[in-house]
Amino acid sequence: MPRKGDTLEQKSPAEFFAENKNIAGFDNPGKSLYTTVRELVENSLDAAESLGRLPSIEVTIEEVTQKQLNKIRQVVNHERLDEELYQDHETEDAKKKRIVKENKDRERLKKQLEKKGESADAIEGKLKDIETKNAAASSKTLKTFYTVTVKDNGMGMPHKDIPDLLGRVLSGTKYGVKQTRGKFGLGAKMALIWSKMSTGLPIRIRSARVSQSFISSYTLDIDIQRNEPNVHEAKMIDNPDRWHGSELSVTILGNWQYYRSKIIKYLRQIAVITPYSHFSFTFKAEDASNDIHVVFARRTEKMPEPPKATKHHPKSVDLELVKQLIQKTKYNKLQQFLCKEFDAINSEHAGRLIEEMRSGAEPETDPRDLTNKQILMLHQLLHAAKFSDPSGNHLSPAGEYNLRLGISKELHPDLVATYQGDAHVLEGHAFVVEAAVSIGGRDIKPGINIFRFANRIPLLFEGGSDVITKTALKRISWPSYKINPTSDKVGVFVSIVSTKIPYKGAGKEYIADDMQEMVQAVKQSIQQCCLQLKVKIVKQQAARDQHQRRKNLVKYIPNAARAVFTVLESMAESRAVGPKRKRMQDDDDILAPVKQMQTSEDTLIARLTEHVAKIDSDMALEYQVQQGMAEGIRQDVYLVPLSAQHEFGRELHASTCVIKLLTAL
Amino acid sequence: MSSKKRRDAPAEKALAARKRIKSSTEVLAQVNKLAAILKGSTAVARTLDGLHLPQTFREVVEKDADAVLDEVEGAIYQAALSILNGEGFTYDIPSRGRANQQYIPELDRIVLKDSKAPRTFASVKTCRSAVITTRILQLIHELCQKRIHVTKRDLFYTDVKLFEEQNNSDNILDDVACMLGCTRSSLHVVASEKGVVVGDLRFREDGDEIDCQRMGVGGKAIPPNVDKVDGIRSNAMFILLVEKDAAFMRLAEDRFYRTYPCIIMTAKGQPDVASRLFLRRLKEVLKIPVLALVDSDPYGLRILSVYMKGSMNMSYDSSNLTTPDIKWLGVRPSDLDRFNIPEQCRLPMTDEDIKTGKKLMEEDFIMANPEWVKELEIMTKTKVKAEIQALSSFGFQYLSEVYLPLKLQEGDWI
Repeated sequence: MPRKGDTLEQKSPAEFFAENKNIAGFDNPGKSLYTTVRELVENSLDAAESLGRLPSIEVTIEEVTQKQLNKIRQVVNHERLDEELYQDHETEDAKKKRIVKENKDRERLKKQLEKKGESADAIEGKLKDIETKNAAASSKTLKTFYTVTVKDNGMGMPHKDIPDLLGRVLSGTKYGVKQTRGKFGLGAKMALIWSKMSTGLPIRIRSARVSQSFISSYTLDIDIQRNEPNVHEAKMIDNPDRWHGSELSVTILGNWQYYRSKIIKYLRQIAVITPYSHFSFTFKAEDASNDIHVVFARRTEKMPEPPKATKHHPKSVDLELVKQLIQKTKYNKLQQFLCKEFDAINSEHAGRLIEEMRSGAEPETDPRDLTNKQILMLHQLLHAAKFSDPSGNHLSPAGEYNLRLGISKELHPDLVATYQGDAHVLEGHAFVVEAAVSIGGRDIKPGINIFRFANRIPLLFEGGSDVITKTALKRISWPSYKINPTSDKVGVFVSIVSTKIPYKGAGKEYIADDMQEMVQAVKQSIQQCCLQLKVKIVKQQAARDQHQRRKNLVKYIPNAARAVFTVLESMAESRAVGPKRKRMQDDDDILAPVKQMQTSEDTLIARLTEHVAKIDSDMALEYQVQQGMAEGIRQDVYLVPLSAQHEFGRELHASTCVIKLLTAL
Repeated sequence: MSSKKRRDAPAEKALAARKRIKSSTEVLAQVNKLAAILKGSTAVARTLDGLHLPQTFREVVEKDADAVLDEVEGAIYQAALSILNGEGFTYDIPSRGRANQQYIPELDRIVLKDSKAPRTFASVKTCRSAVITTRILQLIHELCQKRIHVTKRDLFYTDVKLFEEQNNSDNILDDVACMLGCTRSSLHVVASEKGVVVGDLRFREDGDEIDCQRMGVGGKAIPPNVDKVDGIRSNAMFILLVEKDAAFMRLAEDRFYRTYPCIIMTAKGQPDVASRLFLRRLKEVLKIPVLALVDSDPYGLRILSVYMKGSMNMSYDSSNLTTPDIKWLGVRPSDLDRFNIPEQCRLPMTDEDIKTGKKLMEEDFIMANPEWVKELEIMTKTKVKAEIQALSSFGFQYLSEVYLPLKLQEGDWI
């Protein structure tokens, strides 16, 4: 019971997420910056893809210092009156201690450098470097803010819907299921909540729909408690160029320093999985020398089919969902309801199911008239009965072509193999696993590098317990595919698409490793890639061996010749002690020439070199023949007969060609 | 109080056991009986040739320097001839792999089958080993000519650049021995000494008179080349083969061989070729029983099997290296309860141990002896192992003063 004075308050969805930021990936300022970029980029991708346009996305992060922010917010930047009031104030004691420590460090470093015998100038230079670094580190304690702007060429938003689309966290289930990029359906709204919480600055939006004569321009924020948009300004600007798309700009507290690599990694990986998109990324630092500009260019114009919405599979529905479907359905007969609202149930099947319910429900009963008990029965039956699996046709995997292209363009590997598995099913949801394995390339470390994608977005956090990581590291026997898992640069790319990705953990950052179907599908896809690679690797190795054979053999000729000649020399000077040598010497005396210095070590070297050359050319020919056969390069060659009157003889087969003789008549 | 009582109970039993030990002649009565049977049995040593088996097997024989020299010269001559004919050169190396090994129950040891693999110079795969083989042949030629011995380590250091790792030269040395049909020791390459011997034994080593009763506590190092040993004399009743250095030292320091005339030797773990050769030589000359004292774990048994049946690596030389008919005296799994070895001295077997134990049970030579199988079954069932040192829980000298005499007196070997 609430105590007197307490009031029971209803919590808005916006409030819930504001209080539990970490679930949506806003754990700390750094992660928030990363998640903001990611949510906006994924929104943009969806906006362009749903229009069937090739996405072009511009991401800009601009550093904003506290001072600048205050200027924007029109807060006066005061000089500090009472230094001791501030957290970063250094007391006298602390200052003394710091100076002593710094001097000590300096001395130690100096000694070390002197030991190495570096010149005095170099030492001074290094000391300076360290000091500037220290100074930089201490100034880092100041909070920094960032304006994140993402611009796309998507479908844009209708003018009047913009406040609701961005300023209201919507709950409620979607009608039907569909493979979607977002994890929570929050998208930019969470960034909006975060900006409101950290800087209080509103979000700025410019958006135009296709061939719309104006651009909507909004400045708005969200009333977290009431879960309502709060529009500061709404304008319509002329759109002479007929630009379409959206541009969102939000200013938030962040940490670029720690999350720079993650953000760039994210963009690179999303470029891998969507090679048909163009991304440009700009970071504008306070100090212009720290600016970054990266472009991930478009490599193909072929986009995968967009995912289609599908009906709920009976195995996947929960009780609440059944009730909602009943409420929303436009069919007023139970039999129709079952076969129209669910996947994998036809009319005859629906009739049998209703008969099985046996609780007074008839095929003609209006689903809305079902009693609570009957609904419970129906729900139970849906889970107990046998249904065919969802087909997976509604899913939109990246496709082997795109995956291969994306990897090639971003990593430039020496070898890459891709595989797309069939649709599998997990708790009534279809899923498709695609994999690629690459060898070599730039910006990739030796060892197994894992790239995880779920519904065509990269997963960067909490990889340790992920099904993909675990499978790649533990369940694949790399050496059996001629791949060295520690010294080769191996890239493992696995993309899983599903109407429901079985995430684990609050942040939805990894996929559980405890489902047999998933483990099997992932393992099989990687293995298939490895099998393809093995063939190529073996071929490459053969080619390399072919190339190096002569070199390797020639290298050892002097060793062999010297050892043999040493014994020959020694034999030439002593008499045979046993029957074996005597017999051989009688047959063919090679020791006499050694004694008379007609045969020397050089003779042996020359003979061995000749032999190696002969073997090498034989093997090379054999290799060529084998390669030729394997590759199946066949070419018809014709010689013009001298006269029109001729007849062909029989075919003569050789290992490299087939010859037909012809005779003039 | 109660815990003390519990600890004391086995100790008292142990002391009571001491009273059962009779005079040394009585203790040795059983050993004498065994020795008599051994000397009386005129069973001719069976050889591979004598069995007339349908397949051909490969075995090597001890050869003198000149014979080895002839073999080496033959091989090199052949190679040179082939090189001069412009055909490169190839050695036929008998394969020493597991697939090429077979246990012969009639002989009770492992021998090599007759499969060979060509080692060709002009092949990427075998080029390096063919060159190393040639180099080793040349080095052996030099050794045999000068009649000197070097260790495997010396051999490796003559051409580190070519051999790269001692494994390479060691392995190919065994290949060469196999190819030339002689034992490795005939190649004048020896392993550095590892084994030691003490007790009632005198012999001449390269002309020097050695008396193993005057070798102090450390014992006499077993000479690496047994062919320089002759004039073996002894009054010992048996040879006691000890797995470990620690137990050996205990017995040597207690002068166990004075009370019970015997020869005590150890190879400190896995036996090297020299120790195995030496044991075989002693057994041949003296014709006395060999009793083994090893740990009660699969590893101890594995060591015993190497003495008796040969190691996988040296199976081509098994006829010269093995000493069949070694009796397993202790510490046997059944001893743990019979001698009330306290719990704290018994160790749980690891999964690896149990696996090895089960594998041993499937091996032919263990199955040939039902009593050994029984002991192994006890071990794998109780999943407990114990070292020889476990006996020290009743006092450091329990091993030499109670355990061994009691075992000998009862003739408790299998």
